[in-house]
Amino acid sequence: MIRAFHFIVGIFSQKHGVVAFVFFLVLGLLMHKAPDTTRNNVVSVALGTVFYPAQMVISSVGQFRSVAHENEMLKEENARLRQETYYASEALQELARLHTLVRFDDKWDYPIVTARVVGHNPGRFLTTMVINRGTSRGVKEDMPVFSMNGLVGKVSKTTLTHSRVQLLVDPNLKLSVLERRTRVVGFLESVDGRTLSAMIPTHAGVKVGDTLITSGLGGIFPKGIPVGTVTKIRPADLEVMQLMDVVPFQEFSSLEEVFVMGKEAEWVIQELLDE
Amino acid sequence: MSSLKWIKVLLVFVICFVLQTTIAEWIQLFGAKPDFVIIMIVSIAIKFGPAAGCFWGFFAGFTQDVYGPVEWLGANSISMTVLGFLVGQLEERFLTLNLPMKLGVLGFGFFVHDMIYFLVTGLEKDVVTNLFLSETVPECLYTLIVAAIYFHLSIGKKKRNV
Repeated sequence: MIRAFHFIVGIFSQKHGVVAFVFFLVLGLLMHKAPDTTRNNVVSVALGTVFYPAQMVISSVGQFRSVAHENEMLKEENARLRQETYYASEALQELARLHTLVRFDDKWDYPIVTARVVGHNPGRFLTTMVINRGTSRGVKEDMPVFSMNGLVGKVSKTTLTHSRVQLLVDPNLKLSVLERRTRVVGFLESVDGRTLSAMIPTHAGVKVGDTLITSGLGGIFPKGIPVGTVTKIRPADLEVMQLMDVVPFQEFSSLEEVFVMGKEAEWVIQELLDE
Repeated sequence: MSSLKWIKVLLVFVICFVLQTTIAEWIQLFGAKPDFVIIMIVSIAIKFGPAAGCFWGFFAGFTQDVYGPVEWLGANSISMTVLGFLVGQLEERFLTLNLPMKLGVLGFGFFVHDMIYFLVTGLEKDVVTNLFLSETVPECLYTLIVAAIYFHLSIGKKKRNV
């Protein structure tokens, strides 16, 4: 076994590493040019067999360290929540009365699955993370993922025990957003995998400091999840639109726990919009 | 590389990735964080040569690719492989690099890595320019500072052993 290993290493080391270089370069290019299904399979197999178990162990060690600190925080939070519950029950009664008055039936009523983040990108470009909940806990693809602060992203791939979460900064995730003050709809995306930008009609009069929430359009995210704040406004290629830099409410690199909303995608809405 | 050295490097590899996902986040300055993985690949390539540089570079890049957008799969693997190969040409067996030279190699490797990464991902020119100025330059400087401490310590240790 060790001999075979050294034999392979010997081959790769030939010509001052050129053989190894060509081999790994071709392997990299093949991966890059492979069809989407193959790429997804490569990522799923690598995650499921090597990276998820390894990161699960590492994150478990970290979790034990933070338990005492977390316990302290939870006690404080518990006391605060007890107080808030009183006010919330009062407010709920008032809300129920208002709902009856306006026949409002658009409310969140989905089961929530709490999940721990066990895998971060060990590089400088964070666009995906892995959580320790999968189909065995009812997690399905395209379910919204959020934290205490706001929207995080959506589930992009599931296995029995874990799932991959596509973060808002993933260039392949585009979502419809609503500006809270002006109620105008735009869309949010990341072109570089690091920053978020929103495209919103100029006439809306959106200002720096305004808040974006999910619009409920598109069929994946329900309406009203906080997304981020507008920090800069720039002119877009189209005069009728403005390009806005958005800072998300949730800092993705510091996430430890997230919530998966048990809401399945409503593709019917999407199909109707497409028509 | 002997079998024991492979195991040692594997251990260093795991430690670097743990550092990158934990400490790098805690010590970030104005959003810039050091890249422990690039420091590791440059160190391995200088110490063990281009073949080891390519192998560990590919493995490190692939680990990062797994957590990136699926459409960009291979971008980190390719850029890290190139980095490992290029830096490996300055293998310690044939050349002795002092601290400033090692830092120069690291800085050059950092830029080469990012440029290849941007090229493979196919990002638009203005996006790349923006990323280069706002991310690559500050993170490269921060990585150089961290690497200077690491290289200084490792050179000191080597001198003591001699």
